Amino acid sequence: MELFNIFIKSAFIDNMVLAYFLGMCSYLAVSKTVNTAFGLGLAVIFVLGITMPINWVINEYLLGENGLFQTDLTFLRFILFIAVIASMVQLVEMIIEKVSPALYNSLGIFLPLITVNCAILGGSLFMVSREYNFGESVAFGLGGGFGWFLAIIAIAAIREKIKYSNVPPALRGLGMAFILTGLMGIAFMALMGIDPAVYTGTK
Amino acid sequence: MGLLDFLKKIEPDKKESPFLHTLFDGFFTFAFAPNTVTKGGVHIRDGMDLKRLMVHVVLALQLCLIFGAINIGHHHFASIGLYPGFVEGLHLKLAHGLIKLIPIIIVTHLVGLGIEFYYAAKKGHAIEEGFLVSGMLIPLIMPPDIPLWILALSVAFAVWIGKEAFGGTGMNILNIALLARVFVFFAYPTTISGDEVWVSNIVKDGTDHISAAYGWGHSFVDMIFGAFGWATFGEGGKAVIDGYTGATPLALASKGGWDAVTSVYTPSQMWWGGIPGSIGETCKPIIIVGALFLIGVGIASWRVMVGMLLGAALTAMLMNSMAAGTEHLFLQVPWYYQFYMGSFFFAMAFMATDPVTAASTQRGKWIYGFLIGAIGMIIRVMNPAYPEGWMLAILFMNVFAPLIDHYVLESNIKKRLNRA
Repeated sequence: MELFNIFIKSAFIDNMVLAYFLGMCSYLAVSKTVNTAFGLGLAVIFVLGITMPINWVINEYLLGENGLFQTDLTFLRFILFIAVIASMVQLVEMIIEKVSPALYNSLGIFLPLITVNCAILGGSLFMVSREYNFGESVAFGLGGGFGWFLAIIAIAAIREKIKYSNVPPALRGLGMAFILTGLMGIAFMALMGIDPAVYTGTK
Repeated sequence: MGLLDFLKKIEPDKKESPFLHTLFDGFFTFAFAPNTVTKGGVHIRDGMDLKRLMVHVVLALQLCLIFGAINIGHHHFASIGLYPGFVEGLHLKLAHGLIKLIPIIIVTHLVGLGIEFYYAAKKGHAIEEGFLVSGMLIPLIMPPDIPLWILALSVAFAVWIGKEAFGGTGMNILNIALLARVFVFFAYPTTISGDEVWVSNIVKDGTDHISAAYGWGHSFVDMIFGAFGWATFGEGGKAVIDGYTGATPLALASKGGWDAVTSVYTPSQMWWGGIPGSIGETCKPIIIVGALFLIGVGIASWRVMVGMLLGAALTAMLMNSMAAGTEHLFLQVPWYYQFYMGSFFFAMAFMATDPVTAASTQRGKWIYGFLIGAIGMIIRVMNPAYPEGWMLAILFMNVFAPLIDHYVLESNIKKRLNRA
């Protein structure tokens, strides 16, 4: 139940994009059509869900004072987290290129750029500062990824729809995406403040 | 044909003064049907054009408006202990309500239509009628004492960012009226939440609440009522009677569950609308009449309404069964009583069914309505930050409506391909 709460909280209530405004670059750039947004969203869920537990293990058993080297190596945290993320993204890239070349082409440069997607590193750092345990970090990774996925396919569907609207020329494209993100942020404030733990009896 | 000839004579030239011509055209089409047809509209279903469609919605709202005006007056007098029965002192209540309501309506229309006219002239098309409905809905979802400059700001935000940036009427993603309200809600929360904002003309004086002195509007109607020998307003400045809080049923329910609600209001009072709240949301039977009218003339979608009812009812039942035997009193409120409180019916009839922002596929409407009902009930009951959920639930689902449509269309395409 605890894990379920963290999943719900990170997906809807503390949404990565619309509450923390993390991972904006690929969110704005790859949200022109639903199909590519869907692919990138799945990739982000996968990367977040894999890197989070790996980073948890590294943080706990390699860098901590009770870890392998018995010294405080937390100053290496950023560099090691990024290395893990980069290698995972390489893996995803190879898989997508093999499985779906069309998606690989439409994602283009933004697929390797998941490496520097702040949502991924941000997720790992949140995990450290919130002191999640192993199971919680998996739930947080999957939930955060799912929230990011929902946000990007929602804005992609809206952007497909407003392609036919008479948007003022100055706002077409990125300007509209920024306005939309702000308005979606307002809509997502609907769920902010709910604490699922109160109702599931774990608190 | 005297009027038509006269109007044709004063018609400004379109080339020389585009703004005046747009203005003229907007009002001309109130009086006469133009001999041209709507071009590039969004609601091409039958012979009903956009303006007639909008006027039907405005018609459906009129009863709510009148009831809202009386209700403002009723709560003003109830708070200072005069005319406790709903129909006692009706002329005073109506006059007080109208004095509060008419400036709100005027400011909403001035700001909203002003922006609309400006863009119509600038882009060189006829005035779009979209604001007629939003302009009627916005006053109905505001508290009676809202400061007019805040109202003007919120309307400007909604029309500018919510509509004109997206290309005008029929292209907005989020509901304009709700966007105006949500702007007030997050930017100026003290004017639209709490127990004191729902009763008009009450100010805090030192440690006590008293009713504020009446302005010139009240003196003017006092003069007329006095001439007829009816009861008059007097000076104002009376103390608020002991024990009157102005708390809405939902505020009570979130603190003490259904028992706390029934200790102040009876169920029939809540059903017929004699409770504090936003101006037009309280009287359920009138709203249901409006909803049936809208379904009858084919504007509002019954799928969204039924879906929303089902979603809210099922979620509330689930909460009932979840909360049995725990200390969560709000979750234990019987599911059918959830419909007596708050603005569920207003949101269902006039907000969720907005044909522009709702999902537009048939199956999509069911999903859209159902999810609004479920999420709105979750926000209302489980989110301690907000007293009522429908505004935010509808905005939340507005964001997802294009996505729902996308996947419904995709599955339809797939089904057809399989059949072929």
